[in-house]
Amino acid sequence: MIAILAVAAVTAGTVGLGAMGTRLARTTSDLLVASRAMTAWWNAAAISGEYLSAASFLGIAGLEMQNGITALWQSLGFTAGYLCLLLFVAAPLRRFGSYTISDFAEARLRSPRIRGLASATVLLIGGFYLVPQLKGAGLALNVVTGAPYFVGVLAVGIVVCFNVGLGGMRGITYVQAFQFWLKVFAIALPACLLLIHLGGLPARAALFGDQYPRVGATATSVSVHAPQKVTFPGATGYRVVTSSGSRTLYASAGETTTLPAGTLILPPRADVPVASGTTPLRGSEWARPVGGSGERSPVFVYSLLIATFLGTMGLPHILVRFYTNPDGPAARHTTVRVLGLLGLFYIFPGIYGALGRVLVPQLYVTGATDTVVLRLPQAAWPGTVGNVLGAITAAGAFAAFLSTSSGLLVSIAGTISHDVWPRLSRERTTTVGIRRLRFRLAAVLGMLAPILMAFFAQGVDIAVLVGWAFALAASTFCPLFLLGIWWTRLTAAGAACGMVAGAALATSGILAGLVLGEPSGAAGALLAQPAIVSVPLAFVTMIVVSLRSVERPTPDAEMLALHAPEGLDLPETGVRDPFVLGPRAGA
Amino acid sequence: MPPGEELGGRTPRDELAEATAHGALYLRRLRQRQLALSLLALTAFGAIVGVLPLAIDIVPQLRHVYVLGIPLAIWLLVVPLPPIFLILGALYARRADALDESFRELVRRR
Repeated sequence: MIAILAVAAVTAGTVGLGAMGTRLARTTSDLLVASRAMTAWWNAAAISGEYLSAASFLGIAGLEMQNGITALWQSLGFTAGYLCLLLFVAAPLRRFGSYTISDFAEARLRSPRIRGLASATVLLIGGFYLVPQLKGAGLALNVVTGAPYFVGVLAVGIVVCFNVGLGGMRGITYVQAFQFWLKVFAIALPACLLLIHLGGLPARAALFGDQYPRVGATATSVSVHAPQKVTFPGATGYRVVTSSGSRTLYASAGETTTLPAGTLILPPRADVPVASGTTPLRGSEWARPVGGSGERSPVFVYSLLIATFLGTMGLPHILVRFYTNPDGPAARHTTVRVLGLLGLFYIFPGIYGALGRVLVPQLYVTGATDTVVLRLPQAAWPGTVGNVLGAITAAGAFAAFLSTSSGLLVSIAGTISHDVWPRLSRERTTTVGIRRLRFRLAAVLGMLAPILMAFFAQGVDIAVLVGWAFALAASTFCPLFLLGIWWTRLTAAGAACGMVAGAALATSGILAGLVLGEPSGAAGALLAQPAIVSVPLAFVTMIVVSLRSVERPTPDAEMLALHAPEGLDLPETGVRDPFVLGPRAGA
Repeated sequence: MPPGEELGGRTPRDELAEATAHGALYLRRLRQRQLALSLLALTAFGAIVGVLPLAIDIVPQLRHVYVLGIPLAIWLLVVPLPPIFLILGALYARRADALDESFRELVRRR
C-alpha cells in the first residue's frame, strides 16, 4: 500500500512538474535562457538523472544475482561512456550547436540524405532502449500491486506518452536533477540500512565459497504462475501444491524437471532450483569477475566495455541535455561532474545483487532476478520498515523508467514528426497547431512498437536488452561523431556505408540472439554483445569508403564551428542554432 | 613567428574569420593538439581498463586473497576505477581548457 502511494506520488510529481514547467517557459528559447543560468552541478545532475534507467536501477543488480559479479562491468562501462564523451565529443558538439544527432549529421556532412539515415538509426536505437524501460515497469508494477506484466508495460507506456505529449521533461533541468537525487536516495538508503541491519554481508559460503544459493532456516514457498522448467543443483526433496492437490517429490543433483503452475515448497537449507536458461553457480564461480564461458568470458566483458564506452554518446536522449551548457568548456566541466555523480550511484546496485543471492534465492526459480531491488527490503526486514524501504526502491525505479523513457520518447517523436512525416506528406506549410498535433501522434506511434517488443522480451534480462541498444549506438553514431568531429576527410557516402554496416551486423547479432534465446558459448557471447566486431567494422567501412570516394570534402567552416574556442568574436559560421529556429518538437 | 603576423595589419583573427589558408592552418594545429591530448587520456584509460579484466582472469591469486572477507578481485573491480575516471576527466578538462586559452591568446595578439 505504501509502495503504491510512493509510485503514484513519483508519477504524479513527474508529470505535474513537467507540465507546469512547460507552461512557465513558453518557448524553447525561454527554456534555453533559463537553462543557461544553470550551474555545472545542476546540469550534471540533470544529465545523470535522465541517464539512470531501468538498467541501472534494476538491471545491474538482477544480472549480478543471475550471472555473478561480472555484471558490475556494465556499471563501469555506463560511467566510462561519459569519459569518452568528454574526451572526444562534449565541447566540439556544444560549439557546433546541433542538439540532435540528425542535425549534426546533416550540418557536418552537408547532406540531407544522411539526415534520413541518422533519423532511422535514432528510431532503431530509441526503440531498443525503450523496451527494457517498459519491461522494468511491467515487473515493478507486478511486484508492487500484483498486476499482470502487461498492465505495467501499458500503464507506463501511456503515462509517458501523456507526459511527452504535454511537453513535459523537455529541457526541464530541475526536474531531471531532482530525479537524479531521488534515485540516489532510493537506492542508497535501503542498501546502507540493510547492510547495517544484517551486520555486513551474510552467508559468505553462498557468495564466495562452494555453495549454491540455498533456502534459509525456514521452509520457503515460491509461487509458480506458469509451468517452469528448472534445474536442481543439489539433491533435495520438495513439495508441489497445485489446484489438484499436493505432492512430495525428490530431485537428484543436476536433475532438470518442469514444475507445474502452483506453489513450490522447499525445505530449509535446500539448494534452490534455477530456471532453465541460467546455469546454477557456486559461490566461487559467482564471485569471479571474469572467466568461464558465455557472459562471463573475457571476450564478452571486453565487448560489453566497448559497447558501453562508445555507445553512450550515441543514445538519442543524451545530446539534448548537453545543449543546456552555455559553451564548450562548460560542457567539459559538466561532464566531469557527471563522472563523479554516476560513480556515486553505481556504488549501490551491486549490494542488492549480492544480498539478493542470499536473502531472496527463490527468485532463481522463476528467473525473475530483475525484481531483486524491489523485493529485497521486505525479505530482509519483514514488517513496516521493510515495507517503507520497499516503497522507496519502487519509487526510485519508477523515477528511472519515467525520466529515461520520457527523454527517449521526446527524441523519437521529434524525429518522426520532424524528419519522417514531412517526407511522407507533400504539404509545404504547417501551423504550430498542426505541428503540435503531429508531435503528439508521433509520440503515440513511437511508443507502439516498443510496447509490442516488451511483450516478446519478457524473458530477456533488462541488462541484456540495454546492452543491445548500446551495441547499436556504438556501431553507428560513435564512428559518425568521432570521425565527423576529428577527421576532415569523412564523406557523407562513407558515413552512410559505415552506419549501415555497423547497424546491420549489430542488429543481426541481436536478433539472432533473441530468436535463439541467448545461446551459450563463444558464439553466444558475440551474439549477446556484438560490439567487439561491429564497432571496428563500422569504423573501417567509414574510413575506407571516405578515402576511396572521388569527392575531397573541405569542411573548413564546420571545423571552425566545432573547434574554435569561444570568445574570438568570429562572425556567424553558418551553422544554425536550433533554438533560434524556434521549437521544433511541439513543446 | 606564426605566419599571420607577416601580413601587415591583418591579425590571426581576421585570417580565421575570413577562412583563409592561414586561418585553417591555425585551427588545424589546435585541433591536432586537442586530439593528441584526448588520445593520450584515452591511452591512459585503455591501459588501466584494458588490462584489468585480463589481469583478474589470469592471476588466480586475486580471487583467493580476501580483504575484509571479500575477494581482492571484487575490490579491484568495484573500488578503483570510478575515482580514476573522475581524476582522468578532471585532468583532461583542465588541459583542454588551457589549450583553448593559449589559442585565444595567439589569435588575439596585437
